[in-house]
Amino acid sequence: MTIKRRSILQAAALGAAGASLPLGQLLAQARDSVTIAWPTDVPSWDPNQRTVPDAQPIYKLVFDQPIFQQPDLTFGPGLFKTWKLSDDGLAFEVEMRDDVTFHDGSKMTAEDFRYSFYERVQAKHAIDVANIWRRVTDIEVHSPTKATMRFGSPYPTAAPWLGFMASYIVPKAYMERVGVEGFREKPIGSGPYRLVEYQLNSRMVLERNDAYWGPKPELRRIIVNVVRDPAARAAAVESGQADVTVNVTVRDAERLARVPTLEAELVPITRLVLLQCRNTGVFNDENVRLAAHHAIDKTALSRAIYGGAAVPLSAPVTPGAPSFEPDFKFDFDVAKAQQLLARSGFNPQNPAKLKMFTTNGHFSGDFDVARAIAQMWRRVGIEAEVEVIEYAKYFELNRGNQLPEVTVYSWDNATGDPEIYAGYMLNPNLPFSAWKEEEIGKMVTALFATTDFAKRIEGYKALQRHAVNKGATIPLLQSIITVARRKPLQMTKYGNGWVLGSTMKWG
Amino acid sequence: MHLGIVKMIGRRILIALPILGVVSVLLFVVLRLLPVDPAAMSMAPNATLEEIAAKRIEMGLDRSLPEQYAIWIGRVLQGDFGTSSHFRRPVIGLVVETLPQTIELVALGIVVATVLGLAGGLWMFHVRGTYQEPVVDFGSTLLMSIPEFLWALFFILLFGVALELLPFVGRLSATYSRPNATGFLLFDALAVGRIDIFLDALRHMVLPALALGIAFAPSIMRVLRSSLLDVYHEDYIHQARLRGIPERTLLTRHALKNAILPTLSLMGVQFGFMFGGTLLVEVIYSYPGMGNLMVDAVRNADLPIIQAVGLTYAAIVLVINTVVDALYLVLNPKLRAAA
Repeated sequence: MTIKRRSILQAAALGAAGASLPLGQLLAQARDSVTIAWPTDVPSWDPNQRTVPDAQPIYKLVFDQPIFQQPDLTFGPGLFKTWKLSDDGLAFEVEMRDDVTFHDGSKMTAEDFRYSFYERVQAKHAIDVANIWRRVTDIEVHSPTKATMRFGSPYPTAAPWLGFMASYIVPKAYMERVGVEGFREKPIGSGPYRLVEYQLNSRMVLERNDAYWGPKPELRRIIVNVVRDPAARAAAVESGQADVTVNVTVRDAERLARVPTLEAELVPITRLVLLQCRNTGVFNDENVRLAAHHAIDKTALSRAIYGGAAVPLSAPVTPGAPSFEPDFKFDFDVAKAQQLLARSGFNPQNPAKLKMFTTNGHFSGDFDVARAIAQMWRRVGIEAEVEVIEYAKYFELNRGNQLPEVTVYSWDNATGDPEIYAGYMLNPNLPFSAWKEEEIGKMVTALFATTDFAKRIEGYKALQRHAVNKGATIPLLQSIITVARRKPLQMTKYGNGWVLGSTMKWG
Repeated sequence: MHLGIVKMIGRRILIALPILGVVSVLLFVVLRLLPVDPAAMSMAPNATLEEIAAKRIEMGLDRSLPEQYAIWIGRVLQGDFGTSSHFRRPVIGLVVETLPQTIELVALGIVVATVLGLAGGLWMFHVRGTYQEPVVDFGSTLLMSIPEFLWALFFILLFGVALELLPFVGRLSATYSRPNATGFLLFDALAVGRIDIFLDALRHMVLPALALGIAFAPSIMRVLRSSLLDVYHEDYIHQARLRGIPERTLLTRHALKNAILPTLSLMGVQFGFMFGGTLLVEVIYSYPGMGNLMVDAVRNADLPIIQAVGLTYAAIVLVINTVVDALYLVLNPKLRAAA
């Protein structure tokens, strides 16, 4: 290696010049690219591996899904041109596009679909797809573009799941050639961008795939910087070190919105904040559960913690989703709460005592929500001891029946399908459910096998009402994400909160 | 190398091995006592209880704690720290990928802390007995009472947002690709002759290194000042002064050499702590080091990573202490003779 004195001096001069220009100005020079400050890294570049909601908008740049979810939450053609679930819900016939190529130029066929959703599971690859698609007994390939998925039990939500987490088609030949480890090191998909550089917990550099079969993205290059700290993300956009970011605090979003060169907004999405209830302790008493729900002023919570943008919810479903019922209301009524508690012998002097778990910082305002609810409850005669837990412990505690009466929780469901809201929330046989009860369990089990869409939605509406009216769940607010960006960057808004680099453009 | 130093290093290694053994037992037992099931954590949230039970057996979690420890430490001794439950990758690869970055950051932090600490210490000594002394004393106390993460946020707001002077996200600007050879970015950039990348990487390290270093500098300042005060009461200083040796020479050639020894001891301890300080600083600056990895692992209850990073930190602290002891011998002929 030889380093000449002249090159050192030249570089030092360049560095000095760079240092003398405002960074934002330097970075703003490239307008065919965008720099995104994103809160999390991908857990791996095997998109079938983990169901991590925040990783999906990144995966969707590199990989494609069989069915595409639209901004309005409906499902439309993606890699599949058509699909049809049989009446008994046991077979799912699909027709794939014939013009899709992976980034290495190889053509995608139904064999790749079979490999991603069946053969990898049989080969015992450590992938979450194996759990999601455990009902798949085979995928019959009829031609390069036609296949039939076979299920061991009815799977009415197969279509939404094919547009949901971890459901991506990976190239069979390439993965078999390089192995799973090799694929994670050098992943290829069929998506609108190719991964050209990746550094763990730091950044991803993506270049446009000019051979993409779908709409061509405007931007040639996307740089995703992993910035975990919300204050640092806000600062990154403010200083021009990032063009767009998400999930800054509501206060920061409101502050950034006042900066003339920036735009910031609070966007309601398909995620909801709720109290996961468990029928234990004083929550074995329906009066206490319903009183706890009546005593919460959700509008005040939204105003104080989410700048009024989070919509108060009466049922565990967000507006715009198929099972949402605008007319169903569960009132904020302090007098009624006190009356219900009195029936069970509780009042502010002799309060019903319970424990409330919450995360702190897992989602925006989580701990504040818990504290505010504890205050509201104290006034009517419920004394809640608030305890902070790590999000990672939630499932473990739930599996071991160690959750207390209530836990502040953020429920994510990009699909908007009621099965992934009330169904998963209340099915006592699934690890998501904190509420374990036979009657509700029967209702949910029946709905899991209902293939008629209209009947299924009506069934879930009834289940939602029933669960809320007996206090099995206490929905609070529709979650929001905060998005801050430099002007004039534009992007498509998705009802489920996806921020997709492939839809971004300047001006 | 002097025989005494070799002997000391040998003794240190002999002591380090049982210490690492104890640390490994503590790490293993404490993490197993947490209400977290490594098997459940390594599976999808919708995994059934049966699938988790099968995973527990596969991971050997159905065995007794001593058996589990024996299996784990046996693998560790062969360089296998297990598989991350979050990344589903071998942990050793993650540690190897992130450790060089943290070493680079801490090294720069040490430079910052040493320069600030020594310069500040000399200044504090210089202004002793003057009206400036309480002001400087107050300043050093103030610096010491602010933790690294607050410095980190303050520097972002000042140098990143308000003045737009320095980057504070990641390790390189968007326009550069990272050269990969050893994992030490500064070294790799020089190795491929890319001074521009070297300078860019250095600019990205300035703020995190400053945040790390500034928190440790005040202790160095204070110890150096009090050591100098002690040394200046020694007879040989009086005699040197009587011989007409100028004050500056007295300080640099006679007093400082002796006063630096206690400071060096302190620096050894402090720099061990500096690795701990990287946890929050790396997260705030999106710096892809081992601290960032550790915070991620704690959030995801990724026990194999926590164990591996914990052991690595312990080993690093032991290495630093050994290096400091060796420097002690190099600088102090009396100790060298005794060794």
